[in-house]
Amino acid sequence: MHPLALLFLVLGVPALLALVYIFLRGSESLRRYILVRIALTLPMVLILGTMVFVVLRIVPGDPVTSNLGPKGTPELRERLTEQLGLNEPLIVQYGEFLLDIVTLDFGEALTSGGRPIVDELGERLPATLELVIPATILALILGIIPGTIAAVRRRKPTDYSLRMYSVIVYSMPIFWLGQLLQLFFGVHLGWLPVAGRIDPIIGSTLERTTNLLLIDSILEANWSALWSVLEHLVLPSFTLALILSGVFLRLTRINVIETLQQDYITASRARGIRERVVVYQHALKNAMIPVITLIGLQVAILLAGAVLTESVFSWPGMGRYLVDRIGLRDYTAVQSVITMFALLVALVSLAVDIIYSLLDPRVKY
Amino acid sequence: MAVTEERQAPDAPDWHEELENVGLVRRIFQARRWYKADWWFVVISSVAVAGFFIVAIFPQWFAPHDPREEVGARVLAPGEAPAFEVFMVPAGSQVAGLADMATGERESFGVVVGEPTSDVARDEVERLNEEGLTGDERLRLGLERFDDLPEMLTALSAGELVAAGAASDQVDLVIDDFPEVEVVGSIAEGDEGAGQSFLLGTNQLGQDMLSRIIWGTRIAFLIGFASAVFAIVIGVPLGLLAGFAGGKLDRGMSIIMDSLYAFPGLILAIAIAAVLGPSVFNVIVAIAVLYIPTYFRIVRGQTLSAKEELYVEAARSLGAKSTVILRRYIFPNVIPSVAIIFSVNVADAILTGAGLSFLGIGLPPDTPDWGIDLARGQQSIQTAWWLVTFPGIAVMLVVLSFTMMGEGLVEIFNPKLRER
Amino acid sequence: MYGEEPISRERVVMGEPVRTGDVLFSLRDVSVDYATRAGAVKAVDRVSLDIRKGEILGLVGESGCGKSTLGKAMLRMIQPPGEITEGQMIFDGTDLMTLNSRRMRELRGARLGMVFQDPMTSLDPLQKIVDHLTETVMTHEPSTSEAAARDRAEQLVSRLGLREERIDDYPHQFSGGMRQRIMIALALALRADLVIADEPTTALDVIVEAQFLDLLRELRAEFDLTIVLITHNIGVVAEVADRVAVMYAGRMVEVAGVDGLFLDTKHPYGQGLLKAVPNIQLADAELYQMEGSPPNLLRPPPGCSFHPRCPSEMPICSSVEPSLRAVDQDHLAACWLYEDHPEKRVPVEVAHD
Repeated sequence: MHPLALLFLVLGVPALLALVYIFLRGSESLRRYILVRIALTLPMVLILGTMVFVVLRIVPGDPVTSNLGPKGTPELRERLTEQLGLNEPLIVQYGEFLLDIVTLDFGEALTSGGRPIVDELGERLPATLELVIPATILALILGIIPGTIAAVRRRKPTDYSLRMYSVIVYSMPIFWLGQLLQLFFGVHLGWLPVAGRIDPIIGSTLERTTNLLLIDSILEANWSALWSVLEHLVLPSFTLALILSGVFLRLTRINVIETLQQDYITASRARGIRERVVVYQHALKNAMIPVITLIGLQVAILLAGAVLTESVFSWPGMGRYLVDRIGLRDYTAVQSVITMFALLVALVSLAVDIIYSLLDPRVKY
Repeated sequence: MAVTEERQAPDAPDWHEELENVGLVRRIFQARRWYKADWWFVVISSVAVAGFFIVAIFPQWFAPHDPREEVGARVLAPGEAPAFEVFMVPAGSQVAGLADMATGERESFGVVVGEPTSDVARDEVERLNEEGLTGDERLRLGLERFDDLPEMLTALSAGELVAAGAASDQVDLVIDDFPEVEVVGSIAEGDEGAGQSFLLGTNQLGQDMLSRIIWGTRIAFLIGFASAVFAIVIGVPLGLLAGFAGGKLDRGMSIIMDSLYAFPGLILAIAIAAVLGPSVFNVIVAIAVLYIPTYFRIVRGQTLSAKEELYVEAARSLGAKSTVILRRYIFPNVIPSVAIIFSVNVADAILTGAGLSFLGIGLPPDTPDWGIDLARGQQSIQTAWWLVTFPGIAVMLVVLSFTMMGEGLVEIFNPKLRER
Repeated sequence: MYGEEPISRERVVMGEPVRTGDVLFSLRDVSVDYATRAGAVKAVDRVSLDIRKGEILGLVGESGCGKSTLGKAMLRMIQPPGEITEGQMIFDGTDLMTLNSRRMRELRGARLGMVFQDPMTSLDPLQKIVDHLTETVMTHEPSTSEAAARDRAEQLVSRLGLREERIDDYPHQFSGGMRQRIMIALALALRADLVIADEPTTALDVIVEAQFLDLLRELRAEFDLTIVLITHNIGVVAEVADRVAVMYAGRMVEVAGVDGLFLDTKHPYGQGLLKAVPNIQLADAELYQMEGSPPNLLRPPPGCSFHPRCPSEMPICSSVEPSLRAVDQDHLAACWLYEDHPEKRVPVEVAHD
């Protein structure tokens, strides 16, 4: 089975089940809201895709010339132009582009043997996901909990030092942080590997089904592979998580502070509710609502960080692929990857909205 | 009626009354009492930013060398002087240099296989002979090749050689094991101490890292400020327009801006910069496009809420034209937010710019830029830690200064977060 | 009465049971300071007040006079940068200032309740009404089962005029008036002795306000409540209060029965307040306005804080502060007009221009 399809299955099925459950249990208006929201995702993807299209076609820079360079004979140029469909009117190109998105037909890579891009993505997308998801979970833990603590102990040394931490971490280029971790844990201490997803020798013993190596190694009960994958995962995901945690810390802190100033918090205290309950149940639950939405918006930072992290750690994900392809002037591939990113963003945005509507009873559908 | 105790009004501090009457400078200092830690944030970071700014405008005053020039040996560690070829003799020998070996005979001179010593020696011999520094006799060397340094030094101690030569750093490692060997100086005249060491080392092309880092400030500031200003110039008017006009125009622009805003900035910048081609201007444009939605959203939001204010309604009922309302009532409300976003924006733009050049996108490869340095450093990360550490510290310090300034300003200006 | 059977509770028992008419809560020289960036502000300045069991005491004054702060202080709910700097608050025989925070917390909600000004923001938007109530009950009486707590909640809610089946709704589904009733329900959930209502009707329209006040009167009788009604609206006070306490610039300036205050106001500030109430029957179209404006609490005027605006100002008023003392049957005022002092040599009233 095609790896990309398998990936969508593994990730998509639980999400779909959750959606169906919500659908069945929810009220009439909730169902309508979900449907409308899903329907709105399409325009978002279209807009982003169109922007990609515009950038790559209309902006100066001819892919054919860049690709072939001065060596291109007229015949070669004509063939390439036809292959890329660049000789057709723009509207037709646009139409084909849209069709391609829907059918997930991304065409073939321009160089490196004309490999179907879908296959490449089938390997690269799981790699990126396997980096990004653990990083996000780590970042949430490292960000929300200290953020709440900082809000509760406002204007005390704990608060200031946590804020300094988040500001410093935010000011570091993410790839530099990765390099520092490589220097310290990889070169100096030699504890952890600094490149790749898995040791190459062990990697050859592992059969890739979903290309999510954690899952693949568990499926095969290949424990040395699992260990190697985990080893390789530590530094890159930690790098990404640290940077994100700075942002999450600030967001949580500000929102918890604002929530604690609300009247109902004072009213709860006036009824003699324990302070711990007031803060960690009532205040935190209320604060989490805006925080979740804001965190959902951070997916942009997450993906940008992923691109850079993948470069530093030679992680074979979509980010690295993008950079490589740009260097090779392979516009078809670049276009496909960016469209993929756009899809991801739209999906996350959709998920966040639905979660938000479930959490906040005030939302009117 | 009992006499009540008299109560006089307590003495309140006087200085707060004077606050209205003092100039800006004194006001800044008195603000310290009010804002405490946040005051320090803003002041220290402003001083730092000003300092970096000066470095950015006049890097030639601060940088000891030209950043593009090969000024030293390659991949030198900070403070390390490059190795040179030393001249060694058995202890007690009368020979003090190559010139002393001009006896008309072929004197045996030891070199280690694979080292450049033989070339250095040959060049020096040629030079001495041509300049007639060897007295009546010509200098002729018989090179004896050894497989490794200890072997050679053993032979030298035993007197099997008249003299020998090897790299100074190699010799330093083992010289203590050979008490009968004396290091007299350098083979080539003036070599000793001529090898320059550099404060922050050199990179693979022999360029001085300190100079590169100092010059890198200019590019960083250029990209940061220019892209922020560009984004403001486009984003703020659009935001004002959308917020003020409302309706379909607003909705249309908002959808586009929101989609753009949600999209990973770096990736978009990569695409734009890659398509436009490598040049500083294109990088600036690419990064500016990223931040236009931010300014648009904030300004639009502020405009929308300012539009609802009573004083705007009042002005309108008095017949004020839209442009006047925009200019006099709405625009001034928007400025503080824009100022705060600007400082954070510059910080972020510098980070994004470094990211782009790290990936090799956008800047011509010989530009002295921190991102490019970090990318080069990545290649030698196993052996040359300083190539990665120092440019990164530079980025961090500059970005940190801007971020701290923004943070401090936010705490000071945001009424919602003040204590009640 | 709600509930048919006596409900056993674990109460904080202190001292002897108080009978109606006795002093339930006594404030003695209570001061609350706020540390601001420009210095310390005395929001409440050595206030003494006796609150009698079973009464509705109106606490009035203009915005910023310290009445809300005083209300919060009575529950020891002053947060930094504010602080109760001196004084005693004797409730049912014990000075609340001597209690540790745990004991104080046990009192709050159980014996001292508070109803807040803005009903729209005083309830947790993520909690159902029933949960608000059961949480309060179970925090103070942990042995109550969920079912029992829910029962009590249902009874309370219906007593207060809300439909029982609505207790599973969220706050945003109720109107302002209904939410205020819910706030009262919360204060009554444990049959508090003293309820402090901080501007409870300011955010309500007149009709709802009238219903609310009627409700207060009923509940006072039924639940044996003592109510401190903090408001800037003297009309409300005239309507429901038994006694009235007037505050100005953080100080207590007059305390009297409601009739005594309205018919024979002693303090010039109180007089000014009443004169300022628009009377539709008067042909005179001009509204009375007190001169001047409330003082800056950072640098309060020396002596009596009202003297810059007082039509009856005397030389002594600007140097020595008058104390609150009885000037008539059950009528206290802090004014040199009713008090003698050696410095008060010249009895000539200096007209304030």
